[in-house]
Amino acid sequence: MEVLLQVLIGGVLLGGLYALVAFGLSLIYGVARILNFAHGTLLAVSGVLASLAFTAWQLHPLLIATLLGPMMFVFAYGYYHLLLRPLAKRSHFESTVGTVLVTVGTLMILSDLTAKAAGATQRNIPLRMPVIEYGDIIISTTQLLILAGIVALTVIMHLLLKHSWFGRAVRAVTQDAVGAQICGVQSTRIKAMTFAFGSATVAIAAVLYVLSFPVDPYMGFSLTVKAFTIIVVGGVGNLPGALLAGVFLGVAEGLTGLYWKPEWAPALSVVAMLVILVAYPKGVGVKT
Amino acid sequence: MSATRTTRLPSKAGGGVLGWLGAGLVIAALLALPFAGNSYLLTFGFSVLIAYILGQSWDWVAGEMGYVNLGHYIFYGFGAYAFSIALVSGWSMPVSLVFALAVTGLLALLLAVPLFRLHGDYFAFATLALLPLMEVLAYNLTPITKGADGIVLPVAQVLTPAYLLALAVCVIAFIATLQINQLRFGYALKSIRNDEQVAETVGVRIAPVKRLVLVISALFGAAAGALQAWQMSYIDPATVFGLNVSLVPIAMVLFAGSGLRFGPLVGVLLLASMQQWLLVNIQGYQATLYGLTILLIGRFMPGGFLRAKWVKKVPGLAALSREHHEYAGEAEGVSAQPDVLPLPRLRADCAKPLIELQGVRMQFGGNVAVNDVSLKINEGEIVGLIGPNGSGKTTLFNCISGVYTPSAGKVLFAGQDLAAFGRDGIARLGVGRTYQIPRPFGDLTVQENIAIPLMFGAQPMSPRDAMREARAFVDYAELSSRLTDRADALSVQEKKALEFARALATRPRLLLVDEVASGLTPVEVKRFVEHIRHMRDRYGITVIWVEHIFSALEQVVDRVIALEQGTLIADGPLAEVVKDERVLSTYLGASARSRQGVLPC
Repeated sequence: MEVLLQVLIGGVLLGGLYALVAFGLSLIYGVARILNFAHGTLLAVSGVLASLAFTAWQLHPLLIATLLGPMMFVFAYGYYHLLLRPLAKRSHFESTVGTVLVTVGTLMILSDLTAKAAGATQRNIPLRMPVIEYGDIIISTTQLLILAGIVALTVIMHLLLKHSWFGRAVRAVTQDAVGAQICGVQSTRIKAMTFAFGSATVAIAAVLYVLSFPVDPYMGFSLTVKAFTIIVVGGVGNLPGALLAGVFLGVAEGLTGLYWKPEWAPALSVVAMLVILVAYPKGVGVKT
Repeated sequence: MSATRTTRLPSKAGGGVLGWLGAGLVIAALLALPFAGNSYLLTFGFSVLIAYILGQSWDWVAGEMGYVNLGHYIFYGFGAYAFSIALVSGWSMPVSLVFALAVTGLLALLLAVPLFRLHGDYFAFATLALLPLMEVLAYNLTPITKGADGIVLPVAQVLTPAYLLALAVCVIAFIATLQINQLRFGYALKSIRNDEQVAETVGVRIAPVKRLVLVISALFGAAAGALQAWQMSYIDPATVFGLNVSLVPIAMVLFAGSGLRFGPLVGVLLLASMQQWLLVNIQGYQATLYGLTILLIGRFMPGGFLRAKWVKKVPGLAALSREHHEYAGEAEGVSAQPDVLPLPRLRADCAKPLIELQGVRMQFGGNVAVNDVSLKINEGEIVGLIGPNGSGKTTLFNCISGVYTPSAGKVLFAGQDLAAFGRDGIARLGVGRTYQIPRPFGDLTVQENIAIPLMFGAQPMSPRDAMREARAFVDYAELSSRLTDRADALSVQEKKALEFARALATRPRLLLVDEVASGLTPVEVKRFVEHIRHMRDRYGITVIWVEHIFSALEQVVDRVIALEQGTLIADGPLAEVVKDERVLSTYLGASARSRQGVLPC
């Protein structure tokens, strides 16, 4: 019973983190029409960096997150302008394959360089925090911290999207980039900002991730696949949908590990994605 | 495709003999390589051949059909595993190879069903996600695949036979590429690449074409995998399903030019040589270098360097940048009289209904676009379909041509219920249509645009005959001077003329014309009116014409049907319909009732 509960709690947390990663990817896809294959790798790299920063300087995870987020924002902003924006001008086929090659190339470079610099081993942040015992159930404060982080990030993103000029612009560009441009939204800038914003979210989610789950330089792509599955289920640009789908996937993976074999868990998301795509070729909850 | 690209095609390459001579020399040199006694060179040559097989077979799906299959490598890996498992279990090499091809072909056939429900980015992503899935399977199905240990094949010195076999497969792949582009199959691929829906509405049965091309591509991928496994005598999951190796052949093709005759060949040769040099000279950062190469190609030349302008100016290279446009400008059979089209002269029986709609309803969620429309149109009639924007005219066309399946009701064409037919079947039955915004096959020539419906009509023609016959339609549409130009380089008016001519080339009995006259000058409108009258009078074609220009309709229609909010509100002679209260109020608002006769008719 306790094992099952622990698995469920772990699944919910993991799923919440998946959802954050997925939501960043989905914002970027909705606004800039870019499927960033390196999106999950950003979490892997940020996670390794966070872990290194923690072991080297004993920085508090919160501080690491506040440092990593803006750093990733700047990096992604420049990356978009330098490598992805020019592809938008090309023909449909060329911009599709061009985007794939650029982002997959990035994925390979980031993974390889991170592995060279920090080793290909699994890492995390071994933060020692007290546990809360409630009868049979043991809840670690780390898990509570992660949960609080997920909730805070979700609320911030929701408020930002619904009640700020940036959010309105993002939603406008998602629906019709040219239309938004005619109404005075600088589409290119919004696309770059969204790309940077989505990537920064991942960096912050990465810090929460390494607090409880191990990261390694090569885990990124399977995470991207999971994120994409979540988008397909939850709908492009749909935050509640992403959360629901993410938690569902996280728990399902946990249960697969518990009742069957953990090594099959990575196959789950791919199969789920394929099955769902076959049933709903344009995604389930398409909504912005 | 960008409009700045070549608009006029190079004239047919004269050096056919020279080309074959060159190809013969290259093949002879490659055949001699095993006897040079340099096994390093031979291994390198082998890896180049494998890369070419993979790149070329990928390009049939991507460059020709426009589907970016990022998971092409799974066929390579699957073939390698099937071959190795068969060989280890004691089967002979040829039997194992056949086995590998058979099971991989079957896998492709199975995957085609779910994958081709997807398009664009979703297709690309789903195919890429197959790689990690296959890797997980290979790692975890240990009883069959031996998991992470990999499969060790019986040791044998097979480099030379493997090399020769790979060379043979390469030659077959290249010849197959040339062949595909001369067959109707190749034109089907090209039409799918440009616009799947239009391809269907001009009669192309796309589903079997898509399945077949994926299976053929998979077979070549599997052959490459099997030969690679045979030569290396060891495989494990990472080498055949790894993400960092699997995109390399694709990047090679894109580097030189996907969809070009020599694109895959040139790209593979150049990049494989560079890769080999890097492998020898730089240690430890292979994945980064692969990644960087892929990234730079994607950023700077996803269209391929062979398509760059400077290539066209270099004599030797210009020949390599050749696009696949067979039979270009095929000159025979130019009709003597520009007014005579090679269309059957139907005898219209004015008393017989050709198309009948019974309570047709089209609903998108809660939005009813076409609301229980019933109407009957007899053979040889020209009917105007009017109504304000958004009143459901185009939706009605889409219901007839099979683009939409009506939510309720029946469409009968010459007595047959169209629900039993797909879009291509409806086209072959004799329903031709134009699109409101012209949708030509952009990267094909004007001639090819018209030849495609001729190839896939009720009486299919060979590509060569179709290209000849297309001339008459091109002349009729007054596009003769644009015969070998790409369709996306045409002006709006020319595109409309092409759209109309292409619909005629489906040899329709019923022609659905969607706002073909809007935006044209009065002279051009007049010419269209003449064309439409001509179609009915000479060839007995029934016409439904959606148009807002009443003065144009007035000259030719027998009656008009008016729609409002999806509902049929009037049906009768134009002069009467425009006096109808409801028509007046929908077009001009309620106040117009007091000022009848405002309409220009």
